[in-house]
Amino acid sequence: MTAASGHVLAAAQALLCLAVAPGLIGLIRWLKARMQNRRGSPVWQPYLDLRKLLAKETVVSVNASWLFRLAPYVVFTSTAAVTFLLPVLAVPLPLDPVGDLLVVVYLLLLGTFFLALAGLDPGSAFGGMGASREMTVAALAEPSIAVAMFALALGAGSTNLGEIVARAMARPADAVSPGYLLAFTALFIVTLAETGRLPVDNPATHLELTMIHEAMVLEYSGRYLALIEWAAALKLLVFFTLLANLFVPWGVATTLGPGALLLAAVTYVAKLAVLAAAVAVFETRVAKLRLFRVPELLSVSFVLALLAITASFLSR
Amino acid sequence: MNDAFAQLAMLGSSLVLITSFLLLWRRGTPAHVSALAIQSIALGATAGLVGYFADKHELYLVAVLLIALKGVGIPVLLHRMARRLGPARHVPPYVNTATSLLAGALLVLLAYVVMRPLVEASPLPTRAGMPLAMGVVFVSLFVIVSRRHALAQVIGFLMLENGIALLAVLGTYGIPLIVEIGVFLDAMMGFLVMQIVVYHIHQTFQSLDVEQLNRLRR
Repeated sequence: MTAASGHVLAAAQALLCLAVAPGLIGLIRWLKARMQNRRGSPVWQPYLDLRKLLAKETVVSVNASWLFRLAPYVVFTSTAAVTFLLPVLAVPLPLDPVGDLLVVVYLLLLGTFFLALAGLDPGSAFGGMGASREMTVAALAEPSIAVAMFALALGAGSTNLGEIVARAMARPADAVSPGYLLAFTALFIVTLAETGRLPVDNPATHLELTMIHEAMVLEYSGRYLALIEWAAALKLLVFFTLLANLFVPWGVATTLGPGALLLAAVTYVAKLAVLAAAVAVFETRVAKLRLFRVPELLSVSFVLALLAITASFLSR
Repeated sequence: MNDAFAQLAMLGSSLVLITSFLLLWRRGTPAHVSALAIQSIALGATAGLVGYFADKHELYLVAVLLIALKGVGIPVLLHRMARRLGPARHVPPYVNTATSLLAGALLVLLAYVVMRPLVEASPLPTRAGMPLAMGVVFVSLFVIVSRRHALAQVIGFLMLENGIALLAVLGTYGIPLIVEIGVFLDAMMGFLVMQIVVYHIHQTFQSLDVEQLNRLRR
């Protein structure tokens, strides 16, 4: 793989992620609506919403500082930067030397941090509540992400995402090893918590005392809100990509031929659809947890991650 | 062949271990009973698997007995019992959920440490699962000492038995059938006795909180 074509690939997959992310949210909403006997808005509805929000005027509270205006850009760019580092279509990744899974995790956390700051900034009651809850969840979810990912990194002997995928493709039997399954479950729970999905936060609500994500972004409007919504969709896509391509890497291209890339793109979208369906079914089945029980769910995830790392450390 | 066997046995034992964590995490007797049912079915499947790969055909019988008795029979009895005793007040455990989950994880790590010499000495392909089986034993013991609800303690005891059975299956490809059946009968007897005791606790105190038993001293 030459350097130039590698960088073209990295840019192309980042654009693909940006384009697919709102559709993923739309797909989950549509599937959920269907399962709940509603007609639901069409899958492309989030794109229409984004266009509408981008054209609208932004209203900013008089109490808000420059931080409030800066935060949406930081949230969006940090999440978008992650998409350059993900193994979306092909391995090895050209930008592997630039950032490994630690960079991915902490770029995502940077976005969360700025969003929480922006929630606090205008001094509204809801914003502060949302920010405090988001930080609670993030502080509990962070160790499980790190430990679950290290379980994979330990198996591959490298923290580079491309390297981990390449290793998993070389040894397909590992995909059913307990270490992988435990780490997958741990990361799935964390995905639900970090992206504000159902047992932790209700993504369908807009005014509810227990909301987390929506409480933080309540003060935003217009293009700021569009950027934040898009970034939230992108974050979900990033987590889905990690789940899909790190644990079930089949279909990821190892060469840059058009056939291999096309196959990779098709399998990628199919894997995303399967995960979206799984989340939709799960969200239809479970009720929202009480806020005080969220730490219990996240400690389940941490325990699973800990067992995963033990298993992969000892079966190395 | 041996690789796939080791991998699948490991998978089965992980499932058995995970279900014992379900007991620590979920609340309410129905959730605990279904955790026991899933665990016994996973254990039965593991026993069947070992029987198939190691050519020990009497293990099939053990697997069928396990699934029929502990995967279906006892859970049905427990469900019926929980229904008859009515919706009980929530009895909080001595140790809260988040702490017990972490304690469970530490106990599994302890099991790895304790079992290390045995795992190194064993020539069997199933040896990697033995620490997990020991982990099930430890976690179940922890459930028995840290829960106040009588039925949760009974389920903890049954899971403890499952852990020992798993250890036997993985460590020695199963003990002789006659001993296995004897153990089954013992467990069944133990369960019946506990059932009667639970009824008595409920009749005397209108609650399944074993803390209430302290009142008997006065």
